[in-house]
Amino acid sequence: MKGLVKGLGVSLKTLVAKKATLRYPDEPIIMPDRFRGIQHFDAEKCIVCNQCARICPTECITLTGKRNPDPESKQKLVIDTYDINFEICILCDLCTEVCPTEAIVMTNNFELATYSRDELFKDMAWLQSNNTNIRKENHPAKPAAKAAKGGE
Amino acid sequence: MTRFMEDSLGWLNFGVFAASAVALLFIVLFVVCYLIYFERKFIGWMQYRVGPNRVGPFGLLQSIADVAKLLLKEDVIPKRADRDLFVLAPVLTFIPAFTVLAVIPYTEELYFTNLNVGVLYYIAVSGISIIGIVIAGWASNNSYSLLGAMRSGAQMISYEIPLVMSILGTVLISGSMNIRTIVIEQEGWFWNWNIFPQIIGFLVFMVAAVAELARTPFDLPEAENELVAGYHVEYTGFRFAFFMLSEYVYMIAMSGLATAIFLGGWHAPAPFLDFIPGIVWFLLKWAFCVFFLFWLRATMPRVRIDQLMTFGWRYLIPLSLVNIFLTAIIMQIVR
Repeated sequence: MKGLVKGLGVSLKTLVAKKATLRYPDEPIIMPDRFRGIQHFDAEKCIVCNQCARICPTECITLTGKRNPDPESKQKLVIDTYDINFEICILCDLCTEVCPTEAIVMTNNFELATYSRDELFKDMAWLQSNNTNIRKENHPAKPAAKAAKGGE
Repeated sequence: MTRFMEDSLGWLNFGVFAASAVALLFIVLFVVCYLIYFERKFIGWMQYRVGPNRVGPFGLLQSIADVAKLLLKEDVIPKRADRDLFVLAPVLTFIPAFTVLAVIPYTEELYFTNLNVGVLYYIAVSGISIIGIVIAGWASNNSYSLLGAMRSGAQMISYEIPLVMSILGTVLISGSMNIRTIVIEQEGWFWNWNIFPQIIGFLVFMVAAVAELARTPFDLPEAENELVAGYHVEYTGFRFAFFMLSEYVYMIAMSGLATAIFLGGWHAPAPFLDFIPGIVWFLLKWAFCVFFLFWLRATMPRVRIDQLMTFGWRYLIPLSLVNIFLTAIIMQIVR
């Protein structure tokens, strides 16, 4: 009997307590830093090594390269087209792990819902412009440590 | 209203009666709609979440969306179900719920009938709903349905007994079964309200009322995850809305009865607060009763059917009998 009354007291207290409901979509959800969201692609860093396309478990990355128009640089190939099919991308992060130059990194964005399937086939321009909320350790403002880390 | 009832029946009187009945029906439908909204909001707030808040400002249009959904759904009648009884059952469940609202006095002037056997009328008519529920279970031609209806019928008839016996104490005190007289006898300060001399009766009444309404913790008939929704599993659309409607109208009626009989009806807690109209006091006390029912629903787990029956027959009935005897003895002593 006493337990019942105490229970009623508990629920009365929760009536005025702070609610746990997130106010999404009115307020955006701030994801933790290492969250695997949609990728960001930096065309200048890509050396067209094809590792990301090879390791992708769902084969959603398709890319083509072209001969580097600049004869002086050491880089042989430059990226021409780069597409990720987000119908099948599972955001597993393997492509960013193998990329030696960190040309492809993940951001914290996750809102990809569209009304038609065609819009889910993202091309290089879109991926390049998706540059908000990049993970802190991949942020372009800190380029130096990456080459050593990428090799590990 | 007294004036209209004491005159002989003419077209004007009949018009007033008919119009006020229709007005009550619309008010009750509107109140049920927002009672559902408030219940979801309260229960949500008690569970660390906000209730509905997307549809309309503060989620106020959620009930309207739900009602529209129920009305637009396809009306499915199972092929082997007993068609006439299937159609009759929701009607038989809802009509008594609405007609018992006639005997509850809302204020001194606003009442629908002045029956000398108001308490008896209330209990008798609310018993008809139980028949409706059992018919629903039978006519659905579904074992789960029948099981749910049997359980529900057993629960409701067993808890009718302590419900009636707990009210008898107040009838003894007031000397009449006329609910309006019972309210009038409670005028004055709040310690005149029947809840204080009849505290045992009030507690028994609250428990029996929760069981009668089939609300948590006694909501076995509705046990969504246990009995696959019990007796209304085969009902869709508007017929299902009728069952929900009758449950909520019964909640309104039961809270109204508790307010009238135990909490002093339209009387203010102190005579100097009389300037606030009686309807406001009635609504405040009624709202407290309804909030208490929501509070119980948010807090308590469900009891088992055997615990429920044991509790009703072995504890509540003797307790209400004790209450009646005590009341009678004390009344004799005080006389």
